[in-house]
Amino acid sequence: MWNQGKYGEASMAGYTQSPGGFGSPAASQGGDKKGRTRAQQIVPCTVSQLMSAVQAEDVFKVGEVEIAQVTIVGVIRNTDKSTINIQYKVDDMTAAPMDVKQWIDTEDMGVDNSVIPPGSYVKVSGNLRSFQNNRSLVAFSVRVLEDMNEVTSHMLEVVNAHMQQSKPQSMMGGGAGTNMMPTAQTSMSSTGSYSGASMMLVNGLSANQNQVLSLIKSCHEPQGISMQDLKQKLSSMSVTVIRYTPPLGRVS
Amino acid sequence: MTGVYESPKPRINASMLSQYIGRPVCFVGRLEKVHPSGKALTLSDGEGKSASVELSEPLDEELSGIVEVIGMVSNKGTVMAVSYTQYREDKISFDLELYNEGLKVLHDFPQHYPFEIWKD
Repeated sequence: MWNQGKYGEASMAGYTQSPGGFGSPAASQGGDKKGRTRAQQIVPCTVSQLMSAVQAEDVFKVGEVEIAQVTIVGVIRNTDKSTINIQYKVDDMTAAPMDVKQWIDTEDMGVDNSVIPPGSYVKVSGNLRSFQNNRSLVAFSVRVLEDMNEVTSHMLEVVNAHMQQSKPQSMMGGGAGTNMMPTAQTSMSSTGSYSGASMMLVNGLSANQNQVLSLIKSCHEPQGISMQDLKQKLSSMSVTVIRYTPPLGRVS
Repeated sequence: MTGVYESPKPRINASMLSQYIGRPVCFVGRLEKVHPSGKALTLSDGEGKSASVELSEPLDEELSGIVEVIGMVSNKGTVMAVSYTQYREDKISFDLELYNEGLKVLHDFPQHYPFEIWKD
């Protein structure tokens, strides 16, 4: 199902190459068949985005991004349990805590229905609902974070997901197109190759990653640029981030 | 100060404190020092810079490692905390430097990670 519990599962979420068999082919990625194509991805969001989402009939949109199933990461501020559901208020720092409702499955003994205490950081996956001007999430999963680095990864995934889906469709074809990224450097357009399921679009690199790449490219020595040099030139960046720069294709 | 909970609380590091005076923030850092009174803490952020935190009541528990504080920034640039949460590291340690980088990304792209609600 949703690969719950696996660190980084949300790294697949938000992109149509998701493993879930929703029968949503790459067509929805291109957005050409806008008519009946619904968002089949699960999109990482902030509570502020969910509250700001524009609703047209039963479709929610954050900017250009259509959202239905979403994930948020936040800390539980309140809990309220009844016999049929558990209600939480989850605070992700972007707005007032959001109402999250989780139905209790009284028959399924395999599911843990104990209330997660306030002060716990959780990742919530669910559907956005609006009722009488009140926005809430109906959760199909509320999972306590065991690795707090998921806070960081969620932050980055939110920015990435909303940034990628805001791009003009011509980007998907691998063409250079217009450079919409304010921080991407033009040297990136020459890379051209769009490596399949990779999350790395030509202009999809962060400012930091672009800096690292251009430094690597600028070094003309056969053995390449050393970590020491990179670290020195990018004094504002931690070694962790420099190392973290994902595969950039053929850089040699 | 229940108003702080209901407001957006931008995640910031020590260098940004001066830009958020009088505003609610969320500060995550490593616990360096607890004042003997138990009412003040020193946290260091992912860049190694320090921030002072004042608590409304003395600490009644042992705190260590990574702490997230929510509160208003005073004129002196200290965080007047209304609550704190310790980040668990029992299974996996928290990469504070990477969090700091992530924080910078948030501030680079406020249109994709808004700390406010846009209402038409």
